[in-house]
Amino acid sequence: MSSAGTPTQHNSTLAISPFVTGRSSTRTNASHSQRQQAPGQHRQFEGNDQHGGQDWNTEGMARSPVFQGIANSPLVQKTNPNITTNSLATPHHRNAGNNGSSLLASISKSGLFGSTMPSTLRKVSLQREYRNPTVNIDKESSGVEQPATTTTLMTTTTSATNGSGEFDIGELSSIERLRLWRHDALMQHLYSTAEFVANKIYSLTGDPNDAFWLAQVYYGRGSYVRAIELLTKDMLESVSIMCRYLLALCLIKLQRYDEALDIVGESNPFSEDADQDAKKQNDGGIKLESSLCFLRGKIYAAQNSFTKAKECFKEALLVDVKNFEAFEELTAKNLLTPREEWDLLEALELDFSVLDDNENLIKDLYTLRLSKYLNGEKGSHARKELIREHNLESNVDVMRFDVETFHTQCKFSQCLDLCEVILERDEYNSSILPIYISCLCELGEKNKLFLLSHKLAENVPKSPITWFSVATYYMVVDKIGEARKYFSKSSILDSSFAPAWLGFAHTYAIEGEHEQAISAYSTAARFFPGIHLPNLFLGMQYMALNTLSLAEEYFTLSYDICPQDPLLLNEMGVMYFKRNDLQKAKKFLKRALEAVEELDPTSKTSVSIQMNLAHAYRRLGENERAIKCFKSVLKVSNKSSDTYCSLGFLYLKTKQLQKAIDHFHTALALRPSNSAAQELLLHALELNVSMTLDADHPLMVNAQIQESSSNLFQNSKKRAPVAFDMVGLPKKMKIPGQIPQPSNDGEAMEVE
Amino acid sequence: MIVEEPAQVEQEIRLQLRKSATELSKWKLHKSSKWSAEALWGMAELPPSSPTSSNAAGSAGTGGYDRSTEAPQERSCGSFADLSEQEYDLYLLASTLFDCKEFDRCAFFLKNVTNPCLKFLKLYSEYLSWDRKSRGNMEDVLTTGKPPKHMIRGGSHTGETDTTHVPQNAFPESASRDEQQTDSSAIMKELSSYLEELKTKEKNSGLGVSLLYYLKGVLLKQDDNKSEATSCFLRSLSGYSFNWTCWVELLDCLSRSDESLLLMKHMEERFKLEETENIGSQGTIENNIMMKFFRLALFQEFSGDVDIFIEELHFLHTIFPNFTYLKAQNALTNYNYMDYMNAENLFDQIIKSDPYRLDDLDTYSNILYVMQKHFKLAYLAQFTSHVDKFRPETCCAIANYYSARQEHEKSIMYFRRALTLNKNCTNAWTLMGHEFVELRNSHAAIECYRRAVDMNTKDFKAWYGLGQAYEVLDMHLYSLYYFQKACTLKPLDKRMWQALASCYAKVGNRQEAIKCYERALQLSVNVDQNSVLFYRLAELCEQVHDIVNCRKFMIQCVDVEDATEGIVTDETAKARLWLAKYEAKRKNYEQAYNYAVGVSHGTSQEIEEARSIARECRQRIQ
Repeated sequence: MSSAGTPTQHNSTLAISPFVTGRSSTRTNASHSQRQQAPGQHRQFEGNDQHGGQDWNTEGMARSPVFQGIANSPLVQKTNPNITTNSLATPHHRNAGNNGSSLLASISKSGLFGSTMPSTLRKVSLQREYRNPTVNIDKESSGVEQPATTTTLMTTTTSATNGSGEFDIGELSSIERLRLWRHDALMQHLYSTAEFVANKIYSLTGDPNDAFWLAQVYYGRGSYVRAIELLTKDMLESVSIMCRYLLALCLIKLQRYDEALDIVGESNPFSEDADQDAKKQNDGGIKLESSLCFLRGKIYAAQNSFTKAKECFKEALLVDVKNFEAFEELTAKNLLTPREEWDLLEALELDFSVLDDNENLIKDLYTLRLSKYLNGEKGSHARKELIREHNLESNVDVMRFDVETFHTQCKFSQCLDLCEVILERDEYNSSILPIYISCLCELGEKNKLFLLSHKLAENVPKSPITWFSVATYYMVVDKIGEARKYFSKSSILDSSFAPAWLGFAHTYAIEGEHEQAISAYSTAARFFPGIHLPNLFLGMQYMALNTLSLAEEYFTLSYDICPQDPLLLNEMGVMYFKRNDLQKAKKFLKRALEAVEELDPTSKTSVSIQMNLAHAYRRLGENERAIKCFKSVLKVSNKSSDTYCSLGFLYLKTKQLQKAIDHFHTALALRPSNSAAQELLLHALELNVSMTLDADHPLMVNAQIQESSSNLFQNSKKRAPVAFDMVGLPKKMKIPGQIPQPSNDGEAMEVE
Repeated sequence: MIVEEPAQVEQEIRLQLRKSATELSKWKLHKSSKWSAEALWGMAELPPSSPTSSNAAGSAGTGGYDRSTEAPQERSCGSFADLSEQEYDLYLLASTLFDCKEFDRCAFFLKNVTNPCLKFLKLYSEYLSWDRKSRGNMEDVLTTGKPPKHMIRGGSHTGETDTTHVPQNAFPESASRDEQQTDSSAIMKELSSYLEELKTKEKNSGLGVSLLYYLKGVLLKQDDNKSEATSCFLRSLSGYSFNWTCWVELLDCLSRSDESLLLMKHMEERFKLEETENIGSQGTIENNIMMKFFRLALFQEFSGDVDIFIEELHFLHTIFPNFTYLKAQNALTNYNYMDYMNAENLFDQIIKSDPYRLDDLDTYSNILYVMQKHFKLAYLAQFTSHVDKFRPETCCAIANYYSARQEHEKSIMYFRRALTLNKNCTNAWTLMGHEFVELRNSHAAIECYRRAVDMNTKDFKAWYGLGQAYEVLDMHLYSLYYFQKACTLKPLDKRMWQALASCYAKVGNRQEAIKCYERALQLSVNVDQNSVLFYRLAELCEQVHDIVNCRKFMIQCVDVEDATEGIVTDETAKARLWLAKYEAKRKNYEQAYNYAVGVSHGTSQEIEEARSIARECRQRIQ
């Protein structure tokens, strides 16, 4: 085992994990033992995990009868509904399978429970680990032990019957036993123990792998400097790529980026000599090459060279698609434009084939993460697939897709509801919270925001989201100064947290301090090359300053990044409107309107787009269209003085005087200080006076209609009301059949 | 069979009213239910032979109402037939919560219902809850005089520069603008999507759906979207016609008399009543009793063909001889035609037959006020406040009483109280405006009138009041417009044209002024008032140098004297003087003399002038 060798960049840490080494040793030691295959690959750590001198015989696995062995094998898990449901009942332990250390994690679990639990209980806990066979187990099994799986089926009977699955700890060398001890201590976060043992092992063997584990212990307890010292001391980083990785990681933790970059190299040293065979090599974990690329990207990002960082992350992903962290950096931290995100998945053809039968699952999951501005149908298709094939309907990532979709579509209330569902399960989910906060802000839910901020501040005071939430609350209650303070606090805690940056800039924008706002937005634009918003806001600021040419430039920049955003199209329309380029304005506003078509028509966005379009029509002299637009705006939106005023103006233009005056009046009722409306009203009223009362005058028309409707006039103009009385009186006499003298009564009272 | 026809129809009406009264009260539309029950009670008593006749009707296959057997059964299941047991329990809970006025709770428990009726109850209680909350704001308005928030709904668009900035994380304006607004639109959204859903499921009829459409109409109407509201109400009524408040709302959606004509035409041509909810004869528009009531109300609001009105009124009276509502409608119609005597009589009867009915008594107090029967007004005020102090009608009556006693401040206070109790009471707004006019506070008066017309654009009195108030403020452009409005509403009212004419004259548009006066003249009924019109016309003609017409009108003005048996008014005197001068100028001294001698009224200066003309003429003749 000591000769297990240092993994290459194509391997993962799985290569040196005790389980794997243990396996190989068992293979050598007890290579003919049937036990090895019998419980199925996944159980094997059990056999190996003999910490504390636990007698293997007491373990359930070995003693289990045939069917148990089969039941525990992942293949059966897949088909046996009882067990599957049983396993699905456990809500935790999902992430274990996400990276190469999953096996280690499972070791720790069985290590934790194995010694103390009765065998029956233990079985349950074991079964639980299968809870998501398709994610966890298959991934491991297919990656790690494909051949074993096949043997399992064939050999279960024999293996179980001869019951030779015993694994004698005594067969292991003393060093190996120490290693197991170390490992379990590490997994149980008993760092002193681990350090104590690991130190001894390293001294005994001098194996770089053992050094790595010692460093791992140091890293775990946060003594990065010691880890660095250890790793640099014996030139370990040049011997073992693992060590190099860990060293770089420690340096990054200590924010010594330049040194870290020295360690990982400025570019991927393996990119040339990557021969195809090595690339194919696949142990199910994440290739260290990929991780190193990721680290490089991290360093570049920390040094603010975002293009390089982007390339590195992309490379990391290309080397190993399983490196989710790199994918997340790319998508969530706004390094890529929406188009680039989709290109990454589609054009670059990330190699999902390494995942075997998980290929589609992971691909769909990745798809859900991509920008919602593009290819909505692909996203929803992926979502459907996931729900149909894998029953992941209530998985946080699937729900998150819905949340983000709603958010991009400005359907804030639905978004809010869904966020609350998710947060009920996972109150501090850092990917949902920013969206949730933004929804609360959008809907003006001061009270909830207050509560949330307090909760967050109490429980996760170090998270940027907390302070973002606090700042948003202050913004909602209109305390801009405070809001700015907390936005900046949030962005200091995590400089890659885009919402905080934007919020910070917004505080200046709200106060009308354009210069500061512009500088804040440009910083944001530099930091987050993947989102178009900073540029959009920059353009808006310049537009507010009436520097239209600059505004256009920034809008174009923003347009290059995300040409689908209705807000951007709207702003561009407004900009062209201001530049008097009405045809272009109309074009952009129309496109914006198309973009928001599927949105709720009462949302603020679509209302203001319609409004602007109406103004464009008005300026173009297309009065009827403009009127139609304004009317539809009025139907769905809050009543606004200016809308009424514009509508009145249009009516005035189209010579519908009565309507015009009515609308001016409404405009003034809504805002008495509307001077434009006042002026126009006066004008309209003057026109009204000078209009001749001929047959076409609405007044006359109306009178005519009413006359013809009531035959009062046809009979005799003068007698009409009298005639009514005459008919009415006998009528009344008829009605009060019971009360015969009503009129007398009234008169009598009168006399009094 | 033919002989039995009317009895059978009556029986069907009875059945329908009974059904609607129970159903509507189940679903908490208390006003409609009350109306149905009142109507039911107001129907003619069953003839003693009714058991046999109803049996006959029953055997005729129309499902006559058999008291002994069907009644209890119907009462127990009734409209709950389509509720599952669990839903029924839920209904019981919601219903009690609703009755305790815990609307939010009621809505909460009904969160996930699918049954249309329960859905209606949920949305209705949400709506009421919202309404109650927004009414709180209204009270502030009344006390502080600041404009109500829900009228000035937000408005942050800044015209051309509208840029909806800060979309992602921050939208400061949206913060606390007005939560009630978002609330009502949320109800609207849920309602619409639910109705859409029902439409796709083809479950598009029944009581629940009708009620939902009714609610949608109410919401739309509140949003000033009258045309869509109208179609919603029609939809609701076609499904369930025995919901009186729905008819009333429909009526409220109309703002001009030509619209009422259009509506009637539309209803005659295309409106269909669904048969499931309407028994026998009630399924057709011609025979539906509610339709008849609606037509009556329509006439009361907009006037129309009198003969048809009287016919219908008569018909309804034979069926509902004791229905107070009918009498009140009749009284209101009389009031609208300014036949105060009859209206008063009718109200007296109403009070006798149904003394504790306060509806419409505010109009009665108006009538008494106009007729200057102060003692009776005092009695009415006392009486109503004895019945219920906290009814807007009571407050209006008291306010009118104080106004009659020239205690305008107190009067205003009571109008305010009435408005606090019911913010939609347009009459109170208008009358309050009148009070402010009395107090010479034109601006406050204008504010009141504006509220009135905001709520009810049909209120010609408010428009007229606005015109007058602006006239006082010498803003004739404005007042002209408002008079035009009033005139559009009441084109057959002389006063409107007269006001319009004087306004035109004041802004210097004499041609139109003349046209308006001519129009007013056409419409005038009382000859004794015409002298003013003639004189004004003559004056205007003189101003436009149309001496021929001027003389004609002057002569007509003088002739009024003869028609009114020699009552001399200022105008006739002035007209005589003018004629005298005119004839003198034209050297018709004899005529001039005759005119001049006739001047015995007016300022001393005028009389003096007339005398001198007479003297001169006499000399000339001699």
